[in-house]
Amino acid sequence: MFLTYCAYLSLAVCVAGILWRARRWFFSAIGPEARLSTPGQRMVVMFTALPGILFSRKIWTIFKALMLDVLLQRQIFRQSVVRWIMHMGICYGVLSLILVHALDDLILADLVTDYAATRNPYLFLRNLLGSAVLVGLAIAVVRRHHVAVLKRFNTVWDRAILVILAIIIFSGIGLEATRMISASLFEEMVADYWGSDDTEEITALKSFWAQQFHVVFATPPPLDASHLDTGRQLHADYCAGCHSSVRAAFVALPLAKAITPMAAIFDRMRIDTWLWYFHYLASCLALAVLPFGKLFHLFSVPLSLAVSSLGPAVGQRPESRPIRRAMGLDACTHCGVCSRHCSVTPIATVISNATILPSEKIAEVGRLARDQLTIQRRWRLSQGSRTCTACGRCSDLCPSGIDLQDLWSASTADLNRSGYPGPHGWIRNQSVEQWADHAREEILAPASTDRPRFTGNPNTFWACVQCTTCTSVCPVVAASDDPRRDLDMTPQQVMNLMRLELKDLALGCRMVWDCVTCYKCQEHCPQGVPVADVLYELRNEACRRLDPAVPKKD
Amino acid sequence: MKQIDTEIMVIGSGMAGMAAALFSAQRGIETVQVGITGEINFASGLLDLLGVHPVSDGTRWQDPWAAIGQLVSDEPRHPYGRLSVDQVRTAMDQCLAFLETAGLPYQTNGHQNAKIVTPAGTVKTTFGVPRSMFAGVTVLAEKTPTLLVDFEGLRGFSARQIAQTLGPVWPTLKVARIAFPGAGGELLAEHAARALDVQIHRSSLADAIQPLVGSCRAVGLPAVLGIYRTAEILADLESRLGVPVFEVPTMLPAVTGLRLREAFEQQLPRLGVRAFYQQKVMEAEVLSDGSFRFLVGNEDAQICVRAQRTIMASGRFFGKGLRADRIGIRETIFNLPVHQPAERTLWHNKDLLHPDGHPINRAGLSVDSRFRPTDAGGKVIHDNLYAAGSILAHQDWMRQKCGSGLAIATAYGALSQMK
Repeated sequence: MFLTYCAYLSLAVCVAGILWRARRWFFSAIGPEARLSTPGQRMVVMFTALPGILFSRKIWTIFKALMLDVLLQRQIFRQSVVRWIMHMGICYGVLSLILVHALDDLILADLVTDYAATRNPYLFLRNLLGSAVLVGLAIAVVRRHHVAVLKRFNTVWDRAILVILAIIIFSGIGLEATRMISASLFEEMVADYWGSDDTEEITALKSFWAQQFHVVFATPPPLDASHLDTGRQLHADYCAGCHSSVRAAFVALPLAKAITPMAAIFDRMRIDTWLWYFHYLASCLALAVLPFGKLFHLFSVPLSLAVSSLGPAVGQRPESRPIRRAMGLDACTHCGVCSRHCSVTPIATVISNATILPSEKIAEVGRLARDQLTIQRRWRLSQGSRTCTACGRCSDLCPSGIDLQDLWSASTADLNRSGYPGPHGWIRNQSVEQWADHAREEILAPASTDRPRFTGNPNTFWACVQCTTCTSVCPVVAASDDPRRDLDMTPQQVMNLMRLELKDLALGCRMVWDCVTCYKCQEHCPQGVPVADVLYELRNEACRRLDPAVPKKD
Repeated sequence: MKQIDTEIMVIGSGMAGMAAALFSAQRGIETVQVGITGEINFASGLLDLLGVHPVSDGTRWQDPWAAIGQLVSDEPRHPYGRLSVDQVRTAMDQCLAFLETAGLPYQTNGHQNAKIVTPAGTVKTTFGVPRSMFAGVTVLAEKTPTLLVDFEGLRGFSARQIAQTLGPVWPTLKVARIAFPGAGGELLAEHAARALDVQIHRSSLADAIQPLVGSCRAVGLPAVLGIYRTAEILADLESRLGVPVFEVPTMLPAVTGLRLREAFEQQLPRLGVRAFYQQKVMEAEVLSDGSFRFLVGNEDAQICVRAQRTIMASGRFFGKGLRADRIGIRETIFNLPVHQPAERTLWHNKDLLHPDGHPINRAGLSVDSRFRPTDAGGKVIHDNLYAAGSILAHQDWMRQKCGSGLAIATAYGALSQMK
């Protein structure tokens, strides 16, 4: 009774949690469009659009995605067969165990007339599925602790999910093994299903079960041929209907044999009952926490994959985009594939800002959306976001189908708006002359005493003849109708400032900040002036000197 | 490293290097050409042959061939003195014929020099004129009523300044300043030229000029009428405006120089030249059999070239063929002896605008009759090493107005006298 209450309580918590998570899809305001609609409007838009998608040909696209990407895990298979085995083992192992084992009373008992958990194939299946989960868990543990990027960022949830699953499976195997050897249980079964009190017959059955089912009795029964023969006959008459050979329990049986020496103590303690509680409550716990951590991906990933299968055209309405993004946040399993392939991972190792990596950034973006970030963390997220080159690899590889690139542009826009645009943004707030004043008034940090490689060496510029070749070939200049208005100065004019030793004026020039480092200027310069290198170095120096002028402490 | 064997190595991608590679390829000789962006980007597009002699009194010549004869008799060491007038004529004809096929047609004033307006409003004596500019020669000669248009934001080109300077001799020259379609602020010639390669900008430009033409019978524009389709753009504008349209040279680096560079860079490889533009010779070595070995690259050496003969067309100071430091003037690739004033104090006259120019302007490589560099005693340094173009000594191409002619003719001379 207690356990049943626990199960229903867990279910209630789970359902409430799922509703709470789903509420976030509408209430998370991510991206500039989020300001244009209220959560209510977003809900209306989604639920009015839903029938149009579900009752159209698009449903086939969704169906295909669910088959290939959810059921068969196509994306993971393409990326790594080992990871696919890991995920299939855990996913199908757990789900099948729920169907054929946890819910056997509700499902199998109705479907199969002579169902019994101790019969084959159920006995065998339980062992098979349990070991599949264990193989998956083992791969997951090894992966989590040996892949360079992953082992640096294991979260509580990454570990918790593995621990909970391991507890459930191990306690289940332990439960089966202790039940197998339990003499008390044997006696209960004899009493319940046979009811004989013929000592001679019971001894014969004991003999047979001790030999064939590995039950350990306090007084070992005789194992001679006549007892065994009688026992086999009795077993066939009274027990075989529900009990298949335990040889099918290829995981629990070896364990049972291993703990045989302890059998008497275990039986006295009724450890099988304890394990039963333990196993049951661990499963309830898993059900209860499902919506609150990474286990939620059971729901959110199929949803995300279904939505992304519809392509970018769907969900482009300003009301829909924040919903898609919030669903994307929920669909992240922290699998780390994005970070393993992120093109700026090397930078993350150098400047030790984890929010450069997509798998870590997404969690911070979630907190940003829920307004849970401190100033310090906003600053770090802003730095991490700026380091992204928008190469799009993370979006391409995400097995959950999250449009990460879109999330980044939305969160970067949110950061910019909330006052964390990074140096590129701050520099635009004031004019070239104002920045030069700040440099003189020491609002900026003083220039480094080390002479920078290019800008600290007059030989860099001496050959410049101000011929404008760099300006003529510059694609940034070409993109502007009015370079003076948009860029303050052209590349050749910045070089002239450097020749005149007016570096302070050059620091704030938008040309310096808008340079795309295509190096055309440098390649075309007839005098060999390293124009692009100079612009790059100026930007680096300005970043360094801007540092104290930027709010980033709590 | 990639290894290339060739008969001729041309060092330099300026006018002389391009001409040398052209003549070499036209003769069916295996040719490799190496050179960084150099002086050709700063070419005005006008091909001078010989405009001024002697420079001390600035005498301008209508007949360049007679001028060459006079120059050679006055200054026998001038590189033109190593060539016959026929050779110079053939070289120019071949080069102009090539440019015609390359889509950059030129026109000459018969066998005479032409006079053309510069962006400063002065009149320059030159020989080969891009066809897109030639109507300007005619209207200047005939003082035809002409509208000269300039663009807001285009630096170094003021129609008013030109008209003011030329006013006394050309009173019917009218001027106008318009905004270039789709631009504001500073206008860069190259950007304007690329914009006009697009039809829509051409029609709005014509629409802006149309109401200003009035009674003028020609329209002059800064030389920004496209890079690859100048003839088409010109014809388009002429049909829209109903009068001849011509280009006026602009300040450097100009689109006209870019057109020259593009014509050569695109056509020479088609003629069989193995060209490595934007690359330079990083190491040079003369081998015992008289051939050469070069390491070529940009930041790092990437190609090794072995050549039977080498033509140095590496230019002067801006082209990086010569380098002046506190000790003297050096030749940068083989460290060849450079004809130069005895000491640094003698490089320049005290007067910056001295009519004779400065001795440093005539420094460079002395060559024998076959354009092989020689030492001070006149002895040939390497049998298979030749030099052409502005790196040669005993000339002052800027003041003499003979830059292109010198480059083309000496390249031709070096090649035609190879054995």
